[in-house]
Amino acid sequence: MIEKLSLFLNSIVQSMNEHATPVSDTLMEHNQHSGIIADTLKSLHDTAHAAAGHVVHGAGEAAHGAGHAPELPNWLELAKILFPGKLTDFLFAWHVVIFSAIVWLLLSFFCIIAYRKRSIYPGKLQNLIEWIVETLYNLIVGILGPSGVRYVPFLGTLFVYIFTMNVFGLFPGMFSSTSKLNTTLALAICVFCYVQFEGIRANGLKGYILHLAGSPKSVVEWCLVPLNLPLHIIGELAKPISLSLRLFGNISGEDMLLAIFAGLGIASLAFINPPNWLPGLPLQFPFIFLALLTSFVQALVFTLLSSIYFSLMTHHEEEHH
Amino acid sequence: MDAETAKGFLLPMTVAVAALGSGLGLGKAVGSAMEAMARQPEAAGKIQTGMIIGAAFIEALTIYALVAVILLK
Repeated sequence: MIEKLSLFLNSIVQSMNEHATPVSDTLMEHNQHSGIIADTLKSLHDTAHAAAGHVVHGAGEAAHGAGHAPELPNWLELAKILFPGKLTDFLFAWHVVIFSAIVWLLLSFFCIIAYRKRSIYPGKLQNLIEWIVETLYNLIVGILGPSGVRYVPFLGTLFVYIFTMNVFGLFPGMFSSTSKLNTTLALAICVFCYVQFEGIRANGLKGYILHLAGSPKSVVEWCLVPLNLPLHIIGELAKPISLSLRLFGNISGEDMLLAIFAGLGIASLAFINPPNWLPGLPLQFPFIFLALLTSFVQALVFTLLSSIYFSLMTHHEEEHH
Repeated sequence: MDAETAKGFLLPMTVAVAALGSGLGLGKAVGSAMEAMARQPEAAGKIQTGMIIGAAFIEALTIYALVAVILLK
């Protein structure tokens, strides 16, 4: 069984060899029973990497456990390769920020257009944006209660912004900024600061500290304050970390999945020397729908959890008074 | 077995174990939510919101494992 498998793999590798793809020389040197499969797999992997390397950089290293995670290329990277220079280097170094800036420029542009042309008989764009705003309003007020209206602009913007950034990576040559930890951490720190500020504003500084101490009322609860206070502070600090890691992990995992399957699709055709118009099979295609689902769910989860943090901070006061 | 090989075996296993646990948890959470929704369709919206939040917390554990694996790689 194993011999047959290795023979089969060998024939594939040989056909690859004939088609002008670099294969490591180690293959034919020591064809021992134990070594042969490992060698064959290694050279298969090398070939696939050479073929896919131009499109998906790092896909091969990922299998080895070295280098950075695989990633589909974006326009800024292409510009850096085509026109090497200081400007393109600088642009590529800032590509995470630039793509998130593109997203907010796009969103602002649409909102300004929809706001300028508003009328009692809404057009298509106005209808769409009104529907989005109403849905988000109902969702957030449903969680926070009528007093949560003041947070709707912030939380709704978070949802729209994160969702657009997530989906942006699915367009060819674009990049989701949320697949890097610095973007998600920035968003989570914004939420954290706003939640703490709202906590102080709603409860007063004394009420805020009492809330962190577990709002002690009886003697036993006052005795437990030294235990409760650090626990609550750590809990508060864990919130932005878990928020940002969740979004980052999901979106970067999704992008990595797409990149790996795109690389596999290219590697799968490498041995027949494919024509230029078909460099590989679109194996990543079914996963794009999965990615759409994750993008939506993760944006929703970020918004919902942020609103829960707001409600935990501000509903507290209503129990007291 | 050298350290790299051990890593190559263990890192995917880490995610697998984490995914097993959160899969069980998610199954229980979503199953109960579905039952509750079937029993009380008028409360479906509230149950769904709660379910999504709970599912996010459960799923986060797998994501932590994934992030740890990516960082350790």
